[in-house]
Amino acid sequence: MTPKFLQSSRRGFLGGTAAAAALTTLAVPARAQVEVVPLDRYQPDYLTAGEWAFVMAACARIIPSDGDGPGAIEARVPVFIDRQLAGDFGAAADLYMEGPFNPGSDAYLGTQTPLTPARIYRDGIAAVDQWCTDNLGSPLAELEPEDQDTVLRALSSGDLNLGDELREFWALLVQNTKEGYFADPRYGGNHGMQSWIYIGFPGARANYLEWIGRNEAYPLGPVDIAGERA
Amino acid sequence: MRNFIHILFAALLITGLGFLAFITVPVQRTEPQTALADDWRPEEGQGEYAMRLADCAACHTAPDGELFAGNRPIESPLGTIYSSNITPDEATGIGGWSLDDFRAALYDGVRPDGTHLYPAMPYENYRKLTEEDIRALYHYFMEELEPVENRTLQSDLSFPFDQRWGLRAWKWVALGDPGFVADTDDPVLARGEYLVEGPGHCGACHTPRNNLMAEAALETPDEAFLSGGEIDGWTAPPLRGPDSAIRGWSAQDMAAILATGRNAHAAINGEMQLVVRDSTQFMNDEDLQALAAYLVNLNDGSTAPDRAEETETEALLVSADPDMPLGPRLYLDNCNACHFADGRGADEVFPELDGSSLVTAQSPTGLISMILTGSELPSTAERPSSLRMPGFGDRLSDEEVAELASFVRSAWNNGAQPVTPAQVAELRGDAEAKRD
Repeated sequence: MTPKFLQSSRRGFLGGTAAAAALTTLAVPARAQVEVVPLDRYQPDYLTAGEWAFVMAACARIIPSDGDGPGAIEARVPVFIDRQLAGDFGAAADLYMEGPFNPGSDAYLGTQTPLTPARIYRDGIAAVDQWCTDNLGSPLAELEPEDQDTVLRALSSGDLNLGDELREFWALLVQNTKEGYFADPRYGGNHGMQSWIYIGFPGARANYLEWIGRNEAYPLGPVDIAGERA
Repeated sequence: MRNFIHILFAALLITGLGFLAFITVPVQRTEPQTALADDWRPEEGQGEYAMRLADCAACHTAPDGELFAGNRPIESPLGTIYSSNITPDEATGIGGWSLDDFRAALYDGVRPDGTHLYPAMPYENYRKLTEEDIRALYHYFMEELEPVENRTLQSDLSFPFDQRWGLRAWKWVALGDPGFVADTDDPVLARGEYLVEGPGHCGACHTPRNNLMAEAALETPDEAFLSGGEIDGWTAPPLRGPDSAIRGWSAQDMAAILATGRNAHAAINGEMQLVVRDSTQFMNDEDLQALAAYLVNLNDGSTAPDRAEETETEALLVSADPDMPLGPRLYLDNCNACHFADGRGADEVFPELDGSSLVTAQSPTGLISMILTGSELPSTAERPSSLRMPGFGDRLSDEEVAELASFVRSAWNNGAQPVTPAQVAELRGDAEAKRD
């Protein structure tokens, strides 16, 4: 009587959280398409106007809009990042933050900074913009795309060194940009499931067993956690 | 003329006195069915085990309350009944009750002061308890349990159902003979029969109620017994006959679902979750096997209903055709990941929807509630994982739930009536009211 099918903990977790959410927020089904605020009129929850401009500019260079698929801007990745920074992620709610902190220690020892992700963004953006202003005459957002790329390359290679406490800034920015691009739309990014459509991911439908191994495209578009189809 | 008035007066007086007697003369209590020695003592653990078999905990414990301290609201068609405190507390529980008092509650549905208990207390079924089980239960509640002071709420029934004396007449009709007589010579089947008819009080939900709201049958030979009932709007499926929910199940299937809430076909839902959580999972192997043998026998060795292996439904779902109707499309988008295109789910994890008694029940209440709010299996010793189906109430509109439910009720080999958005809206309202 061994179960044929032992579920991974991930599905259990997703189901569990969905059930918990269902129990607390049974209320009105989230069907009505919420009016989407254009990015230039978006009121950030955490970022200041200058920081918002920085994140918009950086995301637009990390996943540019002139490639094959949607760019970070079309996917509204900056909204995702702003909302994450305003929430538990930004506040390091799930991280051990009691110290001792040793920011200069070997990178293999993991994050050693005393700063929360929200603080790393704030200080990191300020430091990079300061460097841009000092060396190129204006903050990152106001530079030409080529110059922006140069700055971001320097940041990624470590040539533009922000100091030990901020050394995770670039890694966070790239990681969060990818997350905002591919995460479920309920978190603000992946607008209209564009990235899922682009890579052919069926979304929260999560099962197309019968199509595995067939040399043809799966005909249905994705579904998100709220049940919307695209 | 004067004579007539005299006669009328006398008749009224006699009726009045009779009525008064009906209300006030104490009920004759049923005697013990077996004479046990005064110094009879249950074996270690026997009392607790009897409590498990009779599933006292499910009703006599409030959702977040102390064990057996009562106050669980039990919704009946006539109003809300609150279960009583059955801890040995003198002031608010059953402390001070004699063995005879205790037996009278289980057999005759009366309190020591003569008050009639509402038949939410299944004394129709407990009337079949052996004296050993009654003594074991008495020992457990009086001597093994700590008293808990907890005054329970007054039941809230409308007139005339709040007039408990009327239950006396009801009992004349509803109650069968006290004590248990097996319908079989096979000791294993007889044990199963006893567990089902007596302590397990399975008939309280799985047997239909008659016009008087009494169980239509109390014993196995009567085909109405366990032929399906209703509890809190949900269907308690038939356990025998052509529509039996467990037709074709093996003894292992029966034992597995009682011990763990899940088997190769189904997962328990609704009120049955309390039964597995508080009662059947604690049954010893011998009793589980007896119960399983009884249920297999009750279905007379009938095989599972014929089900086509290849169905149009499965072909449609597998096609992933973007032009398919909304019902199957919603199934693909919401259900298919676990219950699969063939509607067969996965053993002990995802219940089958093809042929499911919940899906195809005459009343769609259980199915709609399941889609709206989901369900969680109780954790049991043998299968600790409390697997959960999420609710889809926040994901689907009333119209979509209706489309989806109508689809699964007619998908694969199922052939049940469709569901309307109005039915969904009503249950969604109920679920919200319960939550608030």
